[in-house]
Amino acid sequence: MQIFPENVSTYGQKIDDLFWLTSIFVGIAFVISLFVLLYPLIKNNHSRTPKAQHMTGEKMKHFKWILIALVLLLGSDFVILYSEHDAWTEIENVPAKADVHVGITARQWNFIFTYPGPDGILGTADDVVIDEMNSSLHVPINKNVVFELRSQDVIHGFFLANTRLKQDAVPGRTQLRWFNITKEGKYDISCTQICGILHSKMRNFVVAESEEKYKHYTDSLYNATGHKTATTNN
Amino acid sequence: MSTKQPHLSLEVNKVPEGRLGVWILIAGELVIFGGLIASYLLSRLRYPQWSEMTVHTSTLIGAINTVVLLCSSYTIVRAHEAAQKLDVAKVTRWMSLTVLGGLIFLIDKSIEYTREISEGFTFTSPQLQHSGNYVDSLFWSYYYIMTGLHSLHVLVGMIVMIIIMVQIKKGKNLHRVELAGMYWHMVDLIWIFLFPLLYIAK
Amino acid sequence: MELTSHQQSFWSKYIFSTDHKVIGMQYSIMGIIMAGVGGFLAYIFRYNLAYPGASIPLFGHLSPLQYNAFVTCHGMIMVFWVGMPVLLSGLGNLLIPLMIGTDDMAFPTVNMLSFWIFFVSALVLLASFFVPGGAFGGGWTMYPPFSAGGYLNRSPHFFTALFSGTSLMILAVALEFVAMLMGGINFVVTTINKRAKGMTAFRIPILVWFLNIASLIFMFSVGPLVAGAFMLLLDNVVGTGFYDPARGGDPILWEHLFWFFGHPEVYVLLLPALGVLAEIIPVFSRKPLFAYKPIIYLALVSAVLSVLVWAHHQFVSGIDPRMATFFSIGTILISIPFAGIFLSFMATLWGGSISLKVPMMWAIGFIALFLIGGLTGLYLGSNTFDIYAHDTYFVVTHFHYTLFPDVFFGFFAAVYFWFPKFTGKTLNSALGKLHFWCTFFFFNGTWFLLFFNGLHGQHRRINDYADFSLVMQEPYMTFEKISTVCAILLILSQFIFLYNLFTSLAKAKKPTAEVKNPWNSSTLEWVASSPPPHGNFEKYPEVYRGAYEYSLPDSKEDFLPQSESGL
Repeated sequence: MQIFPENVSTYGQKIDDLFWLTSIFVGIAFVISLFVLLYPLIKNNHSRTPKAQHMTGEKMKHFKWILIALVLLLGSDFVILYSEHDAWTEIENVPAKADVHVGITARQWNFIFTYPGPDGILGTADDVVIDEMNSSLHVPINKNVVFELRSQDVIHGFFLANTRLKQDAVPGRTQLRWFNITKEGKYDISCTQICGILHSKMRNFVVAESEEKYKHYTDSLYNATGHKTATTNN
Repeated sequence: MSTKQPHLSLEVNKVPEGRLGVWILIAGELVIFGGLIASYLLSRLRYPQWSEMTVHTSTLIGAINTVVLLCSSYTIVRAHEAAQKLDVAKVTRWMSLTVLGGLIFLIDKSIEYTREISEGFTFTSPQLQHSGNYVDSLFWSYYYIMTGLHSLHVLVGMIVMIIIMVQIKKGKNLHRVELAGMYWHMVDLIWIFLFPLLYIAK
Repeated sequence: MELTSHQQSFWSKYIFSTDHKVIGMQYSIMGIIMAGVGGFLAYIFRYNLAYPGASIPLFGHLSPLQYNAFVTCHGMIMVFWVGMPVLLSGLGNLLIPLMIGTDDMAFPTVNMLSFWIFFVSALVLLASFFVPGGAFGGGWTMYPPFSAGGYLNRSPHFFTALFSGTSLMILAVALEFVAMLMGGINFVVTTINKRAKGMTAFRIPILVWFLNIASLIFMFSVGPLVAGAFMLLLDNVVGTGFYDPARGGDPILWEHLFWFFGHPEVYVLLLPALGVLAEIIPVFSRKPLFAYKPIIYLALVSAVLSVLVWAHHQFVSGIDPRMATFFSIGTILISIPFAGIFLSFMATLWGGSISLKVPMMWAIGFIALFLIGGLTGLYLGSNTFDIYAHDTYFVVTHFHYTLFPDVFFGFFAAVYFWFPKFTGKTLNSALGKLHFWCTFFFFNGTWFLLFFNGLHGQHRRINDYADFSLVMQEPYMTFEKISTVCAILLILSQFIFLYNLFTSLAKAKKPTAEVKNPWNSSTLEWVASSPPPHGNFEKYPEVYRGAYEYSLPDSKEDFLPQSESGL
């Protein structure tokens, strides 16, 4: 059984690694705590120890064990906090070098994809908008894809599990996020904020493909008729 | 052991229960208004253009109301003094003046609201919205919810004071005058925060 | 020798009673009934998750709209109409006056009113199922704009909007808050002012301390949400734009106002249950509570920290990344004081003389399960890992591994422990043990495997995962079925308790020796008769020592009750 779905992003491994690091501390803490909890139930059962020892915890020789445990916990806390910081700044801040710009707008009940058009700039007249349920966002592999996340109506959640990325789409805000996918494939986007009756049907895809296939796709997209462009979009 | 409960607390703490209860109530209320005021302030910092909206609130009426509330806080203190001397007649007189102060406050507020509503400023200010001025309509939403909730507290305070005036006619429960006074000071205090925020900060 | 004996009619004795014990019972019974409602809702949507589209026995087909509403109401009901009345109002009312040696609460009439306001709030919530449009279905967190009258729930008419599922839910919660505020004032003033002679601060039992700290946390964190809820109600009913970005409002404002209270609320729920553990563990170990004073200080530190960590619920909401770092640090550090409290409870066991009676089993089971819940919080406190885990079943499993032991194991531990005191009868302990093992086993069966579903990317609040390849594969589909089967068995196991409860109550009162102080506990409530009369004590106790004087080395007595002089 795979614990995580396949990771195909450049930063996803850091999240998985953080999980395993935390698991080391959690595992040790759990085993020791269970022992501390259960052992006295056997060793100090009243049939074995009819009279209890009078320990109030006021003596340091007893209380020090609590302190030691807390210091160890504090130490593991700091290790976790320290380890997480780099990945956090990397994921939450868009890289300086952005290869592809797209717009992702959430609405009830699909994600709308906006391609920048031949001029490569979002927000211009030649942008192409794909607004359908179950549609796919095509991106090239091994490129920094930066997207502008918006919502048209209520709060939605953009979740691309195979990259580990998640971000709520909040109406009234534009948020910049990014990913860089290293393997070709078709990956699920799901919505992680309950948004109404068809919240369970809100599922689109990211199709990551080679630069060649990507260019082929965008060419046919920009040249095709029948797709909404920014000028015809209402 | 004894049959009548020997109170530890009255030897050690000496804080009568009613006062403690009202202090906690006041603290809870202040957190509620604090939440409202904080939300308003955050929005205000984001929308400096709201200073144009505050022009439409009447600083004159607001100032009169501030003075009225401060005076009524004074009268309730005098009522409390009289209660300590067990002078029911005086208590009733001073408390009635406090209730009157509350009434004047509410009448002023009604006059003000009437004028503002006639200018199209309501909870939702549909005229502002129709002209595309959405952000300014939010100011009025905050104005009405803050002053409205406050006025509700003024009204509740007045009703409680009237009830207490009826109860003390037999000379009992005079300690409740002080409790009403504490609540009234809280109402006054909240207004002292609302007044500059909604009326003066232009 | 006269107790306060005033003539009491049926109405004033049982319905509009101002006696704290009756009020405590009323809250507890109401909580149990609402747990039945919340549990039934869970049964329905759990069945749907294992067998999407099936006709659910005792219900029928579940539509997506109903699914959303049931998931939402399950959460709301369990937090506000089960956890709060059972742990805070129920235990607080039943035990505070008895444990501090007094006759009743400081404001008995206010206390009585608080229950009836609570009762009405429950009716308002239940009513929301039956209005046009049904109950609100946007998560117990009620995020706007979805909850602000947008899109599906919005009605242009004032009264239709006022009686919509959304508005009724907001009103119900507001009324519940009023009831809890009234109760909280009672707890704190009573504890400060009405303690028995000799009960100084550090002779007060931990349960009483923790009930007070919980009440204070509640009272001072709920304010902003009351304000925010009022604003949300206006958005719904009048059409204001507090949370509407088109009008300069901000949905994130709601998130802050909600979670500023929402996070401390979990500690409001946790502290009373921890208090129950603090009373039970020393009794069944015959040992003083380890580190009594530090436990109190740790709880106070946690109370302060609890209002500084709320935005860990909002790591991916679009808050400033630097703010997120601040909250991550606080969240991870708040594990320390709670770990200290739990470690102290466990240290109480070492060197003790332990009897695994039924209350003790629930206490130990609580700690074992909460260990899992608490440690999984360490994963989620990290803002980085939360990017992936937020709104997946990892989170859902985490909070069930904390809240279920908290509310249910805590409640049952308390019931089995204090049942003889309040009824003068005893619960069957063989059935009690069976109840415990079934609950423990089936709870784990329901939830443990779902950690893995969450880690594999299964997101939450979805009625049918047919479109999601990460979920529609083995072993995750089987895990869902195992979870549902165990959930049904978990619910059925509670009938063992109900059977035990009713048959035990139906029996005659037991002899005093069996029920006055069956566990040989030292705190004051065990001095009163079983059950305590109106007014509690024939002779009011005075206190000569702390609450946990067990197995003193130089004493021939096994324990020293708080109220006995000359020992």
